[in-house]
Amino acid sequence: MRKLLLGSWLLSLLFCLPVLAQDVAVSGRVTSSDDGSPLPGVSVQVKGTTRGTTTDGSGNYKISVPANARLVFSFIGSLSQEVNVGNRTTVSVRLEPNAQDLGEVVVTGYGGTINRREFTGASSKVAGTAIQNLPVGSFDKALAGRAAGVQITSANGVPGGAIQVRIRGIGSISAGSDPLYVIDGVQLNATNNASFTSSNPLAFLNPNDIESIEILKDAAAASIYGSQAANGVILVTTKRGKAGRTQIGLNYYTGVDEPIKRLDVLNTQEWIALRTQARINGGQAADVAKTTVLSTIRQPTTLGDAEIAALPTYDWQKEAYQNGRTHNYELNMNGGNEKTRFFVSGSYYTQSANVVNVGFKRGTLNTTLTHTINSKLTLEQSLKISTITARGQQGSPNGGSFLGSSAFSSSLMIPSVPIYNPDGSYFGTPALGGTPGILNQNIIQVSALNDIRTNINQFIGGLSLNYKPFEGLTIRPFVSLDYRAIKGRYFTDPRTADAFVVRGRLADQFNQNINFLSNLTANYNKTFGGKHDIGALFGIEYRSDINESTSSNITNVPTPDFKYGNAAALPQSIGGAWTGYHKASVFGNLKYNYGRKYDISLIARIDGSSRFGANNRYGFFPSASAAWLISEEGFLKGNSILNELKLRASYGTTGNDQIGTLFGLANFPSLGLVSAGFDYNGSAGFAPSQLGNPDLKWETNVSTNLGLDFGFFSNRFTGSVDVYDRTSRDVLLGVNLPFTSGFSAISRNAGSIQNRGLEIELNTVNVQSGNLKWKTSFNISFNKNKIIKLIDGITPLANPDSAITISYTDYYGVGRTAIQGRPLLANYTTEYAGVNPATGRPMFYDYAGNVTYTPVSPRDLRYLGTELPMFYGGLINTITYKGLSLDVLFQYDYGRRSFNGQTSFLSELAGRDFNALRSVYDRRWQKEGDITDVPRTINGNIETRGVSGLGGSRTLEDASYVRLKQLRLGYDIPALMSKKIGASSTRVYVQAQNLITWTNWSSYDPEFLNFGSGNSGVIPNSRSFTAGINLTF
Amino acid sequence: MQISIKTLSCGLLAAAALSLVACKDLLEVQPRSNGDLATALSTVEGLDATLNGIYDRMQSTNLYGRDFLAVAEALADNAHATNKSGRLNNENRNVANASFINWATSYFAINQANLLLEAVPNVVSLTDTNRRNSVLGQGFFLRGLLYHDLMRAFAYDPGVENTTQSRGGVPIILKGVNNQEQLEYPARAPIADVYKQIYSDLQTAANYFGRSSANAGNIPAYGNRTAAQLLLSRVALYNKDYATAVKNATDAIGGTVKIVDATAYVGGWRAPRNPESVFELQFAALSENIGVNTSLQTTYTTLVRTNDRGTTGGFGDLVPNPAFLADVRSETSATGFADVRAQLYELGTTGRGTAFVECTKFLGKNGTINLDNVPILRIPEAYLNRAEANLMLGNTATALADLNVIRTNRGLVARTAASFATDAAMLTEILRQRRLEFAFEGHRWFDLKRRGQDVTKTIPLSTTANNLPYNDFRILANIPVNEVSTNKNLKQNFGY
Repeated sequence: MRKLLLGSWLLSLLFCLPVLAQDVAVSGRVTSSDDGSPLPGVSVQVKGTTRGTTTDGSGNYKISVPANARLVFSFIGSLSQEVNVGNRTTVSVRLEPNAQDLGEVVVTGYGGTINRREFTGASSKVAGTAIQNLPVGSFDKALAGRAAGVQITSANGVPGGAIQVRIRGIGSISAGSDPLYVIDGVQLNATNNASFTSSNPLAFLNPNDIESIEILKDAAAASIYGSQAANGVILVTTKRGKAGRTQIGLNYYTGVDEPIKRLDVLNTQEWIALRTQARINGGQAADVAKTTVLSTIRQPTTLGDAEIAALPTYDWQKEAYQNGRTHNYELNMNGGNEKTRFFVSGSYYTQSANVVNVGFKRGTLNTTLTHTINSKLTLEQSLKISTITARGQQGSPNGGSFLGSSAFSSSLMIPSVPIYNPDGSYFGTPALGGTPGILNQNIIQVSALNDIRTNINQFIGGLSLNYKPFEGLTIRPFVSLDYRAIKGRYFTDPRTADAFVVRGRLADQFNQNINFLSNLTANYNKTFGGKHDIGALFGIEYRSDINESTSSNITNVPTPDFKYGNAAALPQSIGGAWTGYHKASVFGNLKYNYGRKYDISLIARIDGSSRFGANNRYGFFPSASAAWLISEEGFLKGNSILNELKLRASYGTTGNDQIGTLFGLANFPSLGLVSAGFDYNGSAGFAPSQLGNPDLKWETNVSTNLGLDFGFFSNRFTGSVDVYDRTSRDVLLGVNLPFTSGFSAISRNAGSIQNRGLEIELNTVNVQSGNLKWKTSFNISFNKNKIIKLIDGITPLANPDSAITISYTDYYGVGRTAIQGRPLLANYTTEYAGVNPATGRPMFYDYAGNVTYTPVSPRDLRYLGTELPMFYGGLINTITYKGLSLDVLFQYDYGRRSFNGQTSFLSELAGRDFNALRSVYDRRWQKEGDITDVPRTINGNIETRGVSGLGGSRTLEDASYVRLKQLRLGYDIPALMSKKIGASSTRVYVQAQNLITWTNWSSYDPEFLNFGSGNSGVIPNSRSFTAGINLTF
Repeated sequence: MQISIKTLSCGLLAAAALSLVACKDLLEVQPRSNGDLATALSTVEGLDATLNGIYDRMQSTNLYGRDFLAVAEALADNAHATNKSGRLNNENRNVANASFINWATSYFAINQANLLLEAVPNVVSLTDTNRRNSVLGQGFFLRGLLYHDLMRAFAYDPGVENTTQSRGGVPIILKGVNNQEQLEYPARAPIADVYKQIYSDLQTAANYFGRSSANAGNIPAYGNRTAAQLLLSRVALYNKDYATAVKNATDAIGGTVKIVDATAYVGGWRAPRNPESVFELQFAALSENIGVNTSLQTTYTTLVRTNDRGTTGGFGDLVPNPAFLADVRSETSATGFADVRAQLYELGTTGRGTAFVECTKFLGKNGTINLDNVPILRIPEAYLNRAEANLMLGNTATALADLNVIRTNRGLVARTAASFATDAAMLTEILRQRRLEFAFEGHRWFDLKRRGQDVTKTIPLSTTANNLPYNDFRILANIPVNEVSTNKNLKQNFGY
């Protein structure tokens, strides 16, 4: 018995021996087909076995394989490759990237990814590499022009400043229109709470830490986020470590940020003559007018013509608009082994604006860690810490007509006013009586002395445990914390005009936001019978988002050396507030794929939120979508021209829960409230501030999307076309009440808005021969916005339109008018009719189209365009030749019409004590018979029995533009040279941002956001030139 | 084993999901920096807070923070706009739509008063009768004052209605609104009805104050008995109800606040509280400072203190015109201008352009620039109300006596009956004293309007006279567009 056993064991051993003997050691190197660089961390798997390894830091691998084995090389962002080993011992492969073809992966949220071939929704992806090393404070700014259906507008040119992102138009009137940002699974609180500087809650993230950005646009893609998804979802995935040799990257760039333009304004002599004429036209005698003007600018009233001609002109804009500097220092490390992988990075970024003493500094620390505990458990962690110091402009964070604001006032200063005294000290300080004119302050002194600063400290971390109890099922608990502390201060120096009399003023702000999120998801995927793939996701989630703030305002410091509160003698006001909300959700997704051809996806989410009224606590958001990969059908398969064709269709609902007013009673929009602060004679008071509506709920977006993805000529020409209808119902409106009720409005879900659009993304490889490759990406988005319904019972205005309108304050604090049947952000005013050639008086069209001096509101009001664009997009060309690469991005935005507030002041033609724009001055009416659009100058800007000559549509301008947004020339220094300094690769580059802008906009910059004062005093975007170097060791 | 893990995890998920949905408390978040509208007025403290909230509304620039003084002056004939900040230019030119904008603020405050008056009987903890009567008195007084100001801005006054243009008074709202079921869409009440309501409110207020020991302490910061009487004498004068005007003026004069004499008069305007004030809105806290753009100080003067032309403070947007200055300086004595009120006008600074003679009634008297109490009712008005009412009743002797109380307390010699050729001449002098006494306190416009008089003025910056005949629609302010568009029952004023 024993012998037999031994014998059979030996026998089986004999059978086995040949197998063992046939294993061969195979090694090789994996490189990128793009540039030949080694690819570390590539998974090398023996097909049909669990045997595998990954490439090291130099892209090398070693594995022993059975004979005739097939090796599968796979790597994120590359096409997998299968290689038959045969009898070779060296197998080196070049992996093709798949950045643009249909094979790429779509990040779908809650840890999910799906091959784009199987994706049924509408989304756009921007690779992290596309926005790498751009001198921008936050990644959203770099997205402009890169994704169809995504409109990115910088609020201003403040580094790290506010940006607006609108996905497929605007579906809200008074609720928020911001997308949901999810960074590595952390749902961000993206409200902007900094009081004193233009800030951006996304600026905490170093854009170079980003791996990819996925923008979910339709209900099928976004509805898994339910009541937060109506404005789209932006999923950011940051870089994670790759196994292999530890790679160290060093990155530095620097550059200048120069003003795109300065406005051409009048010189001293022209201004004196013009102001005198304004006074004469206003009814003053010529000699009185002249002496009044001379006395205004504090010149002897006896000056003769020759003496006036000798007066100097001072260029205030040159002092205010200066070159800024940018520096970025960065170190990252990336590596690990099969069990543990890490990516850590640190960066320090500084950028000063093109306006004096405005700037941004940021330090970041970022770690991501992936650890495989055992075959069933994997830990994923990410932690991003950042500290930001932003220096802001005088007045208000995003501009405005503030006398002391350099951006606003420098072009308006009376040109005879000196900036410095002969001894180099500031002219016109309050102690010296101020500067002459309305702008009574030396703005350069104000900018230099005042300390307007925000410190933002953020940490954003997430931790998840992936538990795979058996093949196909992943259970994933996730917790995250999004913490933000804002410490702002606004010190108005006692030597400056605004605080001279009160001897200094210090406003302090502290705001803390704690956003806790926890969810648990279960994801199950299985293939049945080879042709049926099913996927199921089920999850529950809880979010608590709490915001607390304190503020103080105190005056009277002993001397300017004392810049902090304990030195100030007179407290003016102290504030503090609390707000918050809780949200609990259940969600699920069922996916089914048949034969790699047909896909169906069903999503449903129930969101309960404390923001919703007591009668409508829970919202249900379902969606259904399907895709048909036509090119897999027999009749197309193998077609040499059309190699990819996919049809997508989706229908579903999403919600918008941004229904509290941003600046008021955020998070409690349904409750009847009294608010404090109505104090009298030193004792506290309150007053009713909000009439309750227990029915108040989310806004519902019903969206339909039809999309076609295609690829021709082996995907050398690929693209997508999407058409959509996004109809927003239950749109939150402050339904105006008669003031006699004691309230101005009550919040109701009353309105309806439609966005219909067409999006086209096209990518071509124009040239691919040898070392030369030229690729072009083009995208264009048309969106038509229309207010379908406001509220019932509005009395039409007494004008020919019988317009049904509502005046409202939007979520961002801007007062606007909504007109039924028209797009949002409408310009609704009287139409300017030019100048009466006989008198030089401004004329307007009345309701009947006749000209009048005195238009009547609302009788003569008309719809005159909107601040929304008709279409927008971008054109990207990338040319690579050997180590050289050239990227050129044009970005365009067409059809916005907006009031030009800055130019409006400059168009007064010295009707008040402001300087004037030369182009307007040259066109002004001067004598009978002059045919022009610029009225005669008149003191006070109003003709007797007339209205302001700057009213109506006079300063309404077309803000369309095309911008050469980015031009980058990069060079990979040959490896041999690189090695001499010990680096495995070295890349140097120079780039220009906003190099050329084509526009008819008459002020500094057509790209701005209207926060209530239009573009007045908005710091314009700059033209920047940077040069940098990337070293990898 | 596999099955059990599957079952376990599914069960776990389901249980967690159920508990999440079931746990209702999870979604209960109550505001912490706001109160509940439904219950806020159920305590004594809540009533006090509500009262303060009404006074706070009165502090709005739409009401007594600025407009009911400065806009009224800009519209009338005492002042001209200097275009230093550009503010009040349109009001001074009587441009349509550039007028009073207090409609919303006033009705918000009226709702607060209504909620207060309704809540008082339900606050059982309010057992102190004195306090209760004071609260009720203030509620009625403030509501009466609010309706008076609405009528002054938006409706014609009794007896001088422009019948072709008049659209009536203003809606009378006496019920508070604190939930959406209570919303109403009222029409404008007849002018007489609104007057009746104001009478009722002020008489009720006076009665409550009369039964409250807190009344004396209310002077001048809070509503009080004298204030209710003085205001009622004015309302009656507007109503051409001269007997009521006389009676209530007499009652007010019998109160504790006395007119000061010529030697103390200017000093009274330099003190934080004017000693002649019967009701004076307090701007005590620094946070109540309206600031450099629209406070009364900045509106009226560039100066930060008297006799210091070296420091420029505000804009000085609205200054006395030559006609007014000539009038206040017309009577002279051995030492110069006889009228002490002329001392309240002095040359401003050149910091904002040409220096003008400016009104210095508001000079940051609460210790901070732009922070001034605003006198709403001063006792001299009682004498002028009574003088005018008596004259209209034919009681020229008593009218003359009151006129001379004003004249002699302002440094002017007493006039004799013989010095007036006609009663009309005496009326002219009474109205002139009213103009001089209350210049830049916002009376002139309403005095012209209630008497159906044209506004005659010349603005330096325009070549032609900027007269405004009484039959012009711009005599009345426009009702906010919102009101007309949300309430079909409400008629806009003629011409708008």
